[in-house]
Amino acid sequence: MTTKNDSIAEVKDKECLIEVNNLEKHYGDIHALDGINTKIYKGEVVVIIGPSGSGKSTFLRSLNLLELPTGGEIIFEGVNMLDKSVDINKHRQKMGMVFQHFNLFPHMTIMRNITVAPIKLLGLSKEEAEKRAIELLGKVGLADRANSFPAQLSGGQKQRIAIVRALCMQPDVMLFDEPTSALDPEMVGEVLEVMKSLACAGMTMAVVTHEMGFAREVADRVIFMADGKILEIGTPDEIFTAPKTDKAKQFLASVLK
Amino acid sequence: MNFAMMSGFDEWFSKFKDRFINDFITDNRWKYLWNGLGVTMKITLGALVLGILLGFLVAAIRSTHDKTGKLRVLNVICRIYLTVIRGTPVVVQLLITYFVILAPLGINEIVVAICAFGINSGAYVAEIVRAGIMSIDNGQFEAGRSLGFNYAQTMYIIILPQAFKNILPALCNEFIVLLKETSVAGYVALQDLTKGGDIIRGRTFDAFLPLIAVALIYLVIVMILTRLVSILERKLRNSDH
Repeated sequence: MTTKNDSIAEVKDKECLIEVNNLEKHYGDIHALDGINTKIYKGEVVVIIGPSGSGKSTFLRSLNLLELPTGGEIIFEGVNMLDKSVDINKHRQKMGMVFQHFNLFPHMTIMRNITVAPIKLLGLSKEEAEKRAIELLGKVGLADRANSFPAQLSGGQKQRIAIVRALCMQPDVMLFDEPTSALDPEMVGEVLEVMKSLACAGMTMAVVTHEMGFAREVADRVIFMADGKILEIGTPDEIFTAPKTDKAKQFLASVLK
Repeated sequence: MNFAMMSGFDEWFSKFKDRFINDFITDNRWKYLWNGLGVTMKITLGALVLGILLGFLVAAIRSTHDKTGKLRVLNVICRIYLTVIRGTPVVVQLLITYFVILAPLGINEIVVAICAFGINSGAYVAEIVRAGIMSIDNGQFEAGRSLGFNYAQTMYIIILPQAFKNILPALCNEFIVLLKETSVAGYVALQDLTKGGDIIRGRTFDAFLPLIAVALIYLVIVMILTRLVSILERKLRNSDH
């Protein structure tokens, strides 16, 4: 686990997990991603911040091709995912994703929500998958809810289950798309706690969030985006205490007030 | 006075009894209704199965096209199918299927009717199922794909079970319509329930009782069907709060 005090030079010695080169996304006339270049290293936590409409969610969702980029390349574990011959479903199994609106499957129990993918996609037996699920549920403090349905849970509980569902596939990286934005304020903490412990356990994470406290405390690197471009990349200290661009200064002034 | 009323009722009742016997008992005429009901049920169930198969197939093609832009040619074929079937009366479709397409081949009338009503029903089922698929939040689809399920698995495991629950009332309605629409099967020389009642009317020159009996039988079947579906709906709701 790297800490936030590691310099970028040190981070660069690490194994690169995702490399993004010249990523482009056009929606009709809108240029949502404008030449994104960055790398995400194994075991690091990258937090992506920026004003709304800056393309940060589009960028995150491009990493597992929920948004299909219109140009550039995404190299994940040595494979360019935009290659036509690549089986994207295989690679998505290695990239867990957590959504703003949880997107639990309402017609399945919590246990089934968590185990359906490992059973059908990884070929785990029901017993193996449930053993994995119970262990993970214990870690997020929801072992007693295995037989509930999503509608019986609070927002914070749902999001913790969504994290467990992604983790049960044992992914190499976790993508979080504004995981706390749809939560009541008193439930934000419990979800961030789970994310923090995940970071401490060495999980590679890319997080789009408005929780600046989380970014400061947990991120190894912070990416600031605006207008579909990456304007700044740096340690939390560099970004939060000494932003270089006017847009970053403006944005931080408005959110840190 | 009282006596006169009584005798009036007696007279009416004994006339009614005669008509009833003449309509249903003499020459075992009730068998026209019974056998007709059998034909109606065969056509309805056969058309139901065919309609659901066709409907789900067309809905799958159409929503795959809507979501991914693939299957363009198939989508065009499906749209032509929907336009033609929904734009023409079912009786005309039945007559065309019978006299133009299948009768020259000497195919059994019941099979002809099953094909005609099944193809007709499939068009309506297709649009109901497609609406059901579209009613599911896209986040469900994305969650499935992000776990690594392919398009078909996501549909089958995540989207369709939820969609099915939403469209159950509309599907039930379609089945009720189908059952009643088969009453025009008499046009192609099939002796279904309606035709059975009509045959009795032709024999006894009494329209009232045979046709009321036919109407009651349809009504009872529809009521049973509605009841079964509401039980099924409640079961599905219980499994998901």
